[in-house]
Amino acid sequence: MAEIVSRISVVCFAASYAVALACEGSRLLFRSGIRGAVMVGFAAAGVLAHTLFLGWRAANEPAVPLSSAYDWYLLAAWLLACGSLWLTVANPRTPTGLFMLPLVLSLIGAAEMSSRAPFPQSPATQVWGAIHGSFNLAASVAVAFGAIAGMMWLIQAGRLARKQAPAQGFRMPSLEKLARFTGRSATIAAWAAAAGFASGIVLNAVNRQQGLLESIPWNDPVILRMGALVAWLVTAALLERAASRRPDGPRTIALLSLVSLGVLTLSILWGLFGASRHGVPPRQTGPLPMPAAEQVMLSVALPIAPAPRPGVIR
Amino acid sequence: MTLAFVGGSHRTVPMELRERLAFSAEQAAVALRRFRQRFPGREGVLLSTCNRVELYAASEHDSEPPAPRQLVDFLAECRGIDAALLAPVLAGENDQAAVHHLFSVASGLDSMVLGEPQIVAQVKQAWALAQEEQTAGPLTGGMFQAALRTAKRVATETAIGRERLSIPSIAVADFARGVFERFDDKRVLLVGAGKMAHETLRYLRDAGARDIVIVNRSMARGEDLAARLGARAARFTDLLDELVRADLIVSTTGATEPVVTLDMFTGAERRRGGRPLLVLDLAMPRDFDPRIGARPGVWLYSIDDLGAACDANRKTRQREMPGALAIVEEETRRFMGDLHHRSSAPIIEQLRAGWTETGESELDRLFRRLPGLDDTARAEIRQSFQRYAAKLLHSPLTSLRNESHSGPPHGLLDALRRLFDLKD
Repeated sequence: MAEIVSRISVVCFAASYAVALACEGSRLLFRSGIRGAVMVGFAAAGVLAHTLFLGWRAANEPAVPLSSAYDWYLLAAWLLACGSLWLTVANPRTPTGLFMLPLVLSLIGAAEMSSRAPFPQSPATQVWGAIHGSFNLAASVAVAFGAIAGMMWLIQAGRLARKQAPAQGFRMPSLEKLARFTGRSATIAAWAAAAGFASGIVLNAVNRQQGLLESIPWNDPVILRMGALVAWLVTAALLERAASRRPDGPRTIALLSLVSLGVLTLSILWGLFGASRHGVPPRQTGPLPMPAAEQVMLSVALPIAPAPRPGVIR
Repeated sequence: MTLAFVGGSHRTVPMELRERLAFSAEQAAVALRRFRQRFPGREGVLLSTCNRVELYAASEHDSEPPAPRQLVDFLAECRGIDAALLAPVLAGENDQAAVHHLFSVASGLDSMVLGEPQIVAQVKQAWALAQEEQTAGPLTGGMFQAALRTAKRVATETAIGRERLSIPSIAVADFARGVFERFDDKRVLLVGAGKMAHETLRYLRDAGARDIVIVNRSMARGEDLAARLGARAARFTDLLDELVRADLIVSTTGATEPVVTLDMFTGAERRRGGRPLLVLDLAMPRDFDPRIGARPGVWLYSIDDLGAACDANRKTRQREMPGALAIVEEETRRFMGDLHHRSSAPIIEQLRAGWTETGESELDRLFRRLPGLDDTARAEIRQSFQRYAAKLLHSPLTSLRNESHSGPPHGLLDALRRLFDLKD
């Protein structure tokens, strides 16, 4: 069994999600009696392989389980994939996967471009590190769910405004449900992002107290972008709360959720391609480390020892 | 072995005559009992719906089913109608055409509303009644089961029955449910008491709506309607107050001018607290100023909007027609192939029995000449003989089955009779 699990690679579950996405897309082209079962089958197989892959990594990583940027993106993708599968089974006539699976695949792509080195942590900062990572994860997933619900709201509202009956195989949830979901996601995202940011500051403060850090790097690009993201998400949540009592409030909320996803995407891209000391061992001096994506590209281009692939036993 | 049917539908029989021709369940049972006495040994199934009356008859073995003229006379007699009136408007078909017709009917392809699903239940009921009255048999049984299978295939493999076609059902299922998730916490306001409002209200109740207020110019009529529909009546002068509290409005007054103008609505809009409002304006002329539909949070649908969605759905159903017909034709061919193959069963039985008999006599002779064989060896030899006979029979039987797809295999059956000296 361990042998089988160790052979699971990112390609296995990414390919499963891609096939499930293709099945979802084919709803718009033709009818099929078995497509639903095939789609759920591939999505479930993807989630299973994804779960086993993460479990294997958590069990075999020498550092704190799932504490690298690579694992973080894969965890976010896993949460979205689970959500997508659950929503597809619960609402088989709604093409949920068509909206969620591209995000899942994008996160897997981001994982492939990010660093696999675990964030170094002392035993004292492990708890705060885990809290920090979990809140950031919850905020990102909430933003993604909110944006998907917001996008569905705009599509459904467009259909209702054009006074058209729903297209075959493309039935959206009601505006009421989508608006409620988008609003709640925005609130959760704002709280979680604020808590993630605060716990990050506490984490740095603990490091400093223990003499591992000279000062909190307030001008670090990651801290700046996280600060900007938190500021935006809190602002968006407040704007959404204010808009909810207006007749055009749901539309505003839907648009804000899409902007939040845009801001999150920019933040992720900044993290992938920008230089940062985030996650760098305390007390390390010298120039800012190379961006994670560039490290990955370099390791591919140069004949140096490749980074160990998860699940491959040498 | 033949199948036949006579009958008429909304396409051929005028409504007055269709009303007289229709059978209630009790009348259909009496008619089938009479059929059994009149045509002993024949099978019969009577399908009677509000849009059609059809009598299917079948006869196994060599006897012919009743002639179409006899069936017309029988229907006329059962309903006390002059047969001369019925004959010109009823149609009759035999064998493959009769099967094709039943399969089309069961699939809703011959219905007034293309693809309507109720016909499947009616076909099932007709078959169940024939079984109860013992006029059903293997032929009609096979035919009706195949018809239900065809209907299921058409329903699952095409979208012919998927799209809704009535304005109230589209209004609720495609538009109201698109705006609201649930209706048990929504206030429904009924303005006027038009006929379409009743049906729309029925769909809304099915969706969970409980809080219903009726506003009518005549308070007495409004209260009467409210009592019948389990709703609450309000004065027409309170219309704007009720509009402020409503989440969903169904309007069907006979007013010649808009009942709610844009100015009236904008006045009330501020008091609504930003809640979305769905208006189903089913009146003609319209009760709501169409400009209200451009206000944020308002979803206004006129009868023309909903009618356009109906037409689009109807066209979608029409587009599915070729696929549905292809299924009906495929199932008809399959059923007729099986039916024709059944006609060759006596010949095949004779052939098989003759070969078995010859084989057994040869085995007896062999075992007498080889008395030293033990039971295991005898069983092996017997099995080899049986396998040999089965293999020899395989090719002619396959040819017979293939030939059955294009009609009764008379030529091959004659050849078998003559080659192997078989009797009819």
